[in-house]
Amino acid sequence: MINVQDIRDTARDLLAKGEVRAVIGWRAGSRGMAAEPCVITKPEEADSLVWDPTCYHNLALNLVNDRKELRHAKQSPGAPIGIVAKGCDARAIVVLLQENYFKREDVYIIGVSCENSGVLDEKKLATQLKGFAPTAAAFAGDDFSVTTAKGENKIAAREVMADRCLECRTPFPKENNTALGEDKTGRDIEPQFAALQRFEAQDEAARWDFWQRQFDRCIRCFACRSVCPMCFCDECVVDSIEMKIAPETTAEEKANRIRWVERSATRAENATYHMTRALHLAGRCVDCGECERVCPVNIPLRLLNNKMEREAREAFGFEPGASIGGPSLVASFRDDDPGEFIR
Amino acid sequence: MSEKRTGVFVCHCGNNIAATVDVKKVAETMAQEGTVAYSQDYVYMCSDPGQNAVIQAIKDNQLDSVVVSCCSPSLHEKTFRDNAERAGISGFTCEIANIREQCAWVHKNRDEATAKAIKISRSAIRRVARNKSLEPIAVPVVRKVMVIGGGIAGIQAALDMANGGLEVVLVEKLATIGGHMLQLSETFPTLDCSQCILSPKMVEVSRHPKIKLMTYSEVKEVSGSVGNFQVKILKKPTYVDPEACKLCDECTVVCPQVVPNEHDLGLTARRAIYIPFAQAIPASYTLDEDACLGLNPIRCGKCKDVCEAGAINYDMRPETVTENVGAIVVATGFDLYPQEKILEYGAGNVEDVLDGLQFERLCSASGATKGHVLRPSDRKEPKEVVFIQCVGSRDPAQHCAYCSKICCMYTAKHARLYKHHVPDGKAYVFYIDIRSGGKNYEEFVQRAMEDDETMYLRGRVSKLHRTKDGKVRVMGTDTLTGMNVEIDADMVVLALAMQPSKGTEEAARVLKIGRDKDGFLAEAHPKLKPVESVTGGIYLAGCAQGPKDIPETVSQASAAAAKVLGLLSQATLSHTPTVARVRNSHCTGCEMCVTACPYDAIRLENGKAVVNEVLCEGCGSCSATCLRAAIEVRNTSPLQVNEMIEAVLSF
Repeated sequence: MINVQDIRDTARDLLAKGEVRAVIGWRAGSRGMAAEPCVITKPEEADSLVWDPTCYHNLALNLVNDRKELRHAKQSPGAPIGIVAKGCDARAIVVLLQENYFKREDVYIIGVSCENSGVLDEKKLATQLKGFAPTAAAFAGDDFSVTTAKGENKIAAREVMADRCLECRTPFPKENNTALGEDKTGRDIEPQFAALQRFEAQDEAARWDFWQRQFDRCIRCFACRSVCPMCFCDECVVDSIEMKIAPETTAEEKANRIRWVERSATRAENATYHMTRALHLAGRCVDCGECERVCPVNIPLRLLNNKMEREAREAFGFEPGASIGGPSLVASFRDDDPGEFIR
Repeated sequence: MSEKRTGVFVCHCGNNIAATVDVKKVAETMAQEGTVAYSQDYVYMCSDPGQNAVIQAIKDNQLDSVVVSCCSPSLHEKTFRDNAERAGISGFTCEIANIREQCAWVHKNRDEATAKAIKISRSAIRRVARNKSLEPIAVPVVRKVMVIGGGIAGIQAALDMANGGLEVVLVEKLATIGGHMLQLSETFPTLDCSQCILSPKMVEVSRHPKIKLMTYSEVKEVSGSVGNFQVKILKKPTYVDPEACKLCDECTVVCPQVVPNEHDLGLTARRAIYIPFAQAIPASYTLDEDACLGLNPIRCGKCKDVCEAGAINYDMRPETVTENVGAIVVATGFDLYPQEKILEYGAGNVEDVLDGLQFERLCSASGATKGHVLRPSDRKEPKEVVFIQCVGSRDPAQHCAYCSKICCMYTAKHARLYKHHVPDGKAYVFYIDIRSGGKNYEEFVQRAMEDDETMYLRGRVSKLHRTKDGKVRVMGTDTLTGMNVEIDADMVVLALAMQPSKGTEEAARVLKIGRDKDGFLAEAHPKLKPVESVTGGIYLAGCAQGPKDIPETVSQASAAAAKVLGLLSQATLSHTPTVARVRNSHCTGCEMCVTACPYDAIRLENGKAVVNEVLCEGCGSCSATCLRAAIEVRNTSPLQVNEMIEAVLSF
């Protein structure tokens, strides 16, 4: 089990020696038990870092935002930026590196292993606590220790862990500069794609009916897109209304903006938005599950992304975020591809 | 946008389109479109009066763009773009709406087909409204051509092109040119000696001032495009200087290493230092470094010690040569389907079961037995020989679905050759049916049956095995009599299927040209472009493209040569300007388009994609891959695609 002090010491040390210009990590939140992402720049801030089952956020997103900041301010990165990364965060970083979003030497990855655990699912926890509000949560071996007004509760982690963590095979960040905790790669708490399989047991009509209900609910708040580290485009194909105008944007380009998806939150447009997003994430989504967690209307978005992930694995043996040097799914082909048209 | 003036021309294609599509209604409906200034229909738009009508209409009505609703753009796009040019507007403002293959031919209901033809035409009108007048890109031409493969196809193509005045680089991976044809004893249907008709051509290649012969060499990398390819060729070391070698054969006498001889398909052996056969071109020895006891450090060195000419040099190293050529002819040939895969016929483990090429080497005067047909196991003359046709061919369930085309003929030839060598022997042929289309071919088979008394049995052999008394028991069926047949043969010859050679696979990979479902190189059009590959400037010859016999191979090689001579007779080539273009503001430099591009036309410069317009073929792979819509093909912009979709969906 990781001692949070080790994370703090590592961060402090890196900042003190000037090896990194900042460290992205989690600190105690201002509301309830949940941690929040933070960026610390001074060694003395290292003690504010935390590591507990509420470190939900995929910090690769903050890395993307840091890069956007730098580009906006027209600054070169200088010293690398440190980042505390879980297994899924590190996989996301690998995909970003594959796509040249930044260079490997610009990032210092402090890997943290989730070992046999993962992050909490607040909804599952609320059911377990029967109405008592949690005030703090901590790792306790294969359990979580959750504090409420009535005192401390030991709850088996697998009872209240997020689905994505239950299915996770790579809780250890393989791509790292330094790593804390045990490497439990290949752990098997629940079968992979279990949720997807349960869903697919239904017939086609039931599944379509299900998705219609989901897409009806979508309010197009774009939280799924905003929280996704892979959705780093400055201009998204679904919103032509805010077309980015750069100095080099030609009049023709301005005139030629396309509206593939209407802004109105109708069922057909919502479906188009979500399916476009799923396709754009095929071979890139690392199943960090953040889109599903932040959805205010509880659309099970992992089902869509998992479907693409499983297709890519079954058809091409493709694992998103497995290695930096590996090919990207949609831009590569093999000579022995079973599809005749491609040879 | 200033007001567009598009002309729409709807073709009846005789009855091809008009029978299913109400062409008059299509023309009338299109006249209502906002950007359409003129619309007409005509019985044959591609006929001379039809084409003149298009030109006249453009001039009379000041049209700035044209949609022709007719057949596939692969047929007449060029015709009508030329017409647009002749009428004084850019050819790239002309688009084809395919209402024949994609509509009339695939539908029966006239109302529905007409409605669809209207939508297809409308989508082309919406597209052409945003087409740009583009100028073709001029590409300089290198008047030099590379031929890959030194078999009869490669030799013929190289000679024809060199005689036509082109510089030719002929690359062969083995130590000599000649290919499979040189392994043959005699050729059908005239039974003339294969080596005797081929070796003069080989000599001509070696002496031709315009042919640069590179044997023991492999093509490793090809970049560039039609008119200007850059080819990296790996020249493997032979360790023998062909200029100095006196062909005295002293080196092979002292060489201690013995390995199977590929030229005789393992029926004989050779030394590590060898000359493939007496007439080899180039006439020189080669030191096979895999078979040699060791060159680094030198573990034997006997050949060098004995070489009085001083031709042997152990310090030769592989060398990479770069050649610039304007066109490439691929003539990489075939391999026989491996006997190991034919489990019912012993998978290559039953003695005296040979493949066709091995039998050729038994019959050949220069072969393993100096032209006496002796079976390999005991070197005795076989008195009963069974020939089995279609081994591996025409067997979609287990092996190759296709017919290998030449086996009927060469089996008849084998049977005849055998009878000429062993007049008192008995020859049996198991066949499915006999395919002897070709000049004098049927007569040849008849002579095998009648003059040479070959026993033709219609049926398949179910299995064979070695008997205790040293025979091969062949168990088959004669379907004409309905009887099971068992023959204790002295020797069995399998007419194995032809498959694309390893070199053909390799060439397809290096050149990035397509292969068909059986792995042979794909021609651009099965009827009208049989020697062109799908990539401009790359042509196909011989069995790399599909099974064929020698006359057909030679014809195809000459055809490919004629195509190259035509291509390279021009000073510059014009390249289509409908190529990819990058929107810098959107490019994030993710490199996906670079990986996706099949033509290596995109590279990254300062973190942004840059397109080499000469290499780009406008296939759109980049545009489909780009998640950021940062790269698009000219005249197929996302905006145009969007509007075409809307037109088809009738928004």
